[in-house]
This record gives sequence, C-alpha cells and structure tokens, in this order.
Amino acid sequence: MIESLWEEIPRFFTYYNCVFLLEATARTLTLTGIGCLIGFALGFYLAVARLYPGMMFLPLRAGIIFYVEFFRRVPFLVTLMLIFFFCQGFRLEVSVFTVALITVCLIAGSYTAEIVRAGFESVHHTQWEAGEVMNFSLGQKLRFVVIPQAWKVILPPAFSFFIAFIKDTALASQIGVVELTYVGKVFNNKGFSPVLAFGAILVLYYLISYPLARFGVWMEKRLVLSKH
Amino acid sequence: MSYTVHFNLVWKYVPELLNGAVLSFQIAILAFLGGMIIGLAGASVKIFGGRLLRGAVQAYVSFFMNTPQLVQIYFFFFALPQAGILLTPYQAVLVGMTLNAGAYLTEIQRAGFLSVRKSELEAAETLGMSLPQTIWHVIFPHICKVLFPPLSNHYIIMTLGTSMAAIFGVEELTGRAFNVNAITFRSIEVFIITAGIYVGITILASAILVFAGRWLFRVKGKVF
Repeated sequence: MIESLWEEIPRFFTYYNCVFLLEATARTLTLTGIGCLIGFALGFYLAVARLYPGMMFLPLRAGIIFYVEFFRRVPFLVTLMLIFFFCQGFRLEVSVFTVALITVCLIAGSYTAEIVRAGFESVHHTQWEAGEVMNFSLGQKLRFVVIPQAWKVILPPAFSFFIAFIKDTALASQIGVVELTYVGKVFNNKGFSPVLAFGAILVLYYLISYPLARFGVWMEKRLVLSKH
Repeated sequence: MSYTVHFNLVWKYVPELLNGAVLSFQIAILAFLGGMIIGLAGASVKIFGGRLLRGAVQAYVSFFMNTPQLVQIYFFFFALPQAGILLTPYQAVLVGMTLNAGAYLTEIQRAGFLSVRKSELEAAETLGMSLPQTIWHVIFPHICKVLFPPLSNHYIIMTLGTSMAAIFGVEELTGRAFNVNAITFRSIEVFIITAGIYVGITILASAILVFAGRWLFRVKGKVF
C-alpha cells in the first residue's frame, strides 16, 4: 500500500491539482471570513438589542432569544438544508456559495450574540449603574463604560469560535460549494487514493487552523494578564 | 413568492423522524462515553506521563482539534479500507466521533484536573486525611463541579454533530429527514420539523443535565 501511495504522489501534486487546492482553500477562508465578520456584526447588534429596557421591546427580546436558541440548537447541516431549500422554494436566484454564506452568517450571529452577552454580563452592574447616574444613553454607556472593559472577555471566545467555523464550513461541501472538503471528494472520485486525497485536505485544514488556534491561546493569555 | 406550505403531508412521517432521533441520541452518547474514556487516559498522560507519551497525546489532540470532523470521518470511511479495515457507515461515524470527542475531552479534563489548587490538598493534609479520603472528599467533588458545565456543553455540541452521520448514509434524524424529503418533496416543511426536533432534544438534554448538575454537584446552570 505504501509503495503505491508513493508512486501516486507525483501524479497527485500536478500543477492544476495544486491550483485547485489553493483556490478551494481561498474559498473556505472567504466563506469563513466574510460570514464571521457579518455574523459578528449581527450578533453584536442582537446582544445590544437585548438590552433595550421596558415592556415595549419585549417582543424584540423574545424574538432575539428565540433566534439565538434556535440556531444554536440546530445542526449546521440542517440549517444549511433549510436555507438551501428555502431559497429554492421561494425561487430566489442565489448561488450555493451565497446559501452557505447566509447560513454561516446566521449561525455565527447567534453564537456571537451569546458571547457578547456574556461579555456584557461580565461587567459589574455597578459600572452600568454609574453610567446611568451620569445620565448616559444606552449607546454612550456601551461606548464609554462597558465595551472598554468587556472586549477582553468577548474577543478570545469569539476568535476561537471563528476558528471552529473554518472547520464547520466543511459541511458546505454537501450542497456543492467548491471548498476544501469538496475538492477532497472530487479527488477521491477521480480515482486518487483516498489516503492521499483526504490526507492532503486534512493537512491543509491543519495548516490553516493550528497557527490561528495558537494565536488565540496567546491572545487569551495576554488579555487575561493585562486585566489585573 | 409562490410556495405553499403543506405540513399535513409530512406529519405522518414524524414518528419515523423521532425514531431517527433515538439513533442520534445513541451515537452521541456512545461517542461521548468513548471520548470520556480516551479523554481520561489522555489527560492523565498529559499530566503525569513521560515526555514521549505527552508528545504523542499532544499530537493526537492537536490533529483532531484542528481538522474538521467531517473530513476525519471521510478519511476513516474511505481510507481505512485501503489498509484492509472495512467499516460500515455507522462504525465509521462512531469511530470518527469518538476519536474527535476524545481529543476535545482530553483538553477539557486536563484543565479540570489542573484546577485543583495546591492549598486544597494541603488543607486536606492538615486535616489528616488519607489519600483515598482526599480523593473522595476533596479532589473528586472539586473536579466534578469544574468539569460538569464544559462536559455537558460538549455533549450538546456532539448531539448536533451526529447530523454528519447522514452524509454517510446512517439513518439517524438528519438521514431520515433526507429520506422523507425524497419521498414527499416537501423540503422546507421536513427540515423545519427536523430542526424543531433537534431543538427539542437538545433543550431536553440541557434541562436534564442542568438538573443533574444541581442535584449531584451543586453546579449552578441555566437551560437558556
């Protein structure tokens, strides 16, 4: 088995295969990057909107809680299928990449809403009250009092969640987005040894994810140190 | 906007979907227990083991934590037959999920073990406790209390992760949803119901875990 693999390697790493792999890597990263940025903005806004006080905003708060709980408790694959068929059913002419992107945005939004909320809760309530006493509006309280303290709590889990999303987007291959996992399947179907096809994909994912994970750990340590 | 929602065509398949949910639960719990055993061994090695063993466990953990679970299962499913090991889809998913869970649970349990403070052990020594007493009255309750929330969290994540089994043709909840979709062609309805069942079973699991945590280890937790 080892010898046949060895013979296959030059046939596998041809110029076009490598270009294909790199393009797919770029697509995986684009999907994760754009999705998580929009998702973070969405989640941040949702976490802020959950702070609106009073009975008037009760439906809004209930809606946000429903949204957050729904997307955190449904598997990526099912959400993906739901949005895929939703776009199809309502005749929305969108590419599969867009479908995957919408899914990533929605799920990342729901998770970051929770992360940001935890960050807000980590700020002691006396700080909020101090802002209140200064007659700050909600926006001012967030901007001058809460976020300068909360971002250290928010950033590390948000970052590690985004790294996790690089791996989760592997499921987007199921609806036909040509990203890394899809390329692995294509190579496997072309008759390359699955050890080589999926091995190359695994190594590429590792090379992307590992440095980022290390950076996340480093950042978390630094932020924890700087808090005291 | 020309889609009419017909739930009535799908309702009669709900029992079938729920049967699939039982299989999802089975995969999740088996993989979780297997992962716990691997994690316990891995965490012990990482804390007490020699240099070589520690390196091996570190390599295993970092490999499985930094690659997608889906591709790992693909690898087991397609590449192991080349080495003469033939796995059924169910076995491949179970092996993949167990090994993946093992890596995450190693990290979680290691952090839990290291959270026992030296002053606690010294306090136990001052009280004249023997080693079994120290383990039973000091270390064990502490570790349980620290480990329970992240472990139950990971169990929920694993329940969601079982949906990957559908891709390999295991007929768990998502797999059955694909089947029902192929029979009825009511895609949106089928997947809304499936999503609802997932929300239901994870909320149920969260509630049970929170109550168990409160009752057994006095862990304060929230379902929502």
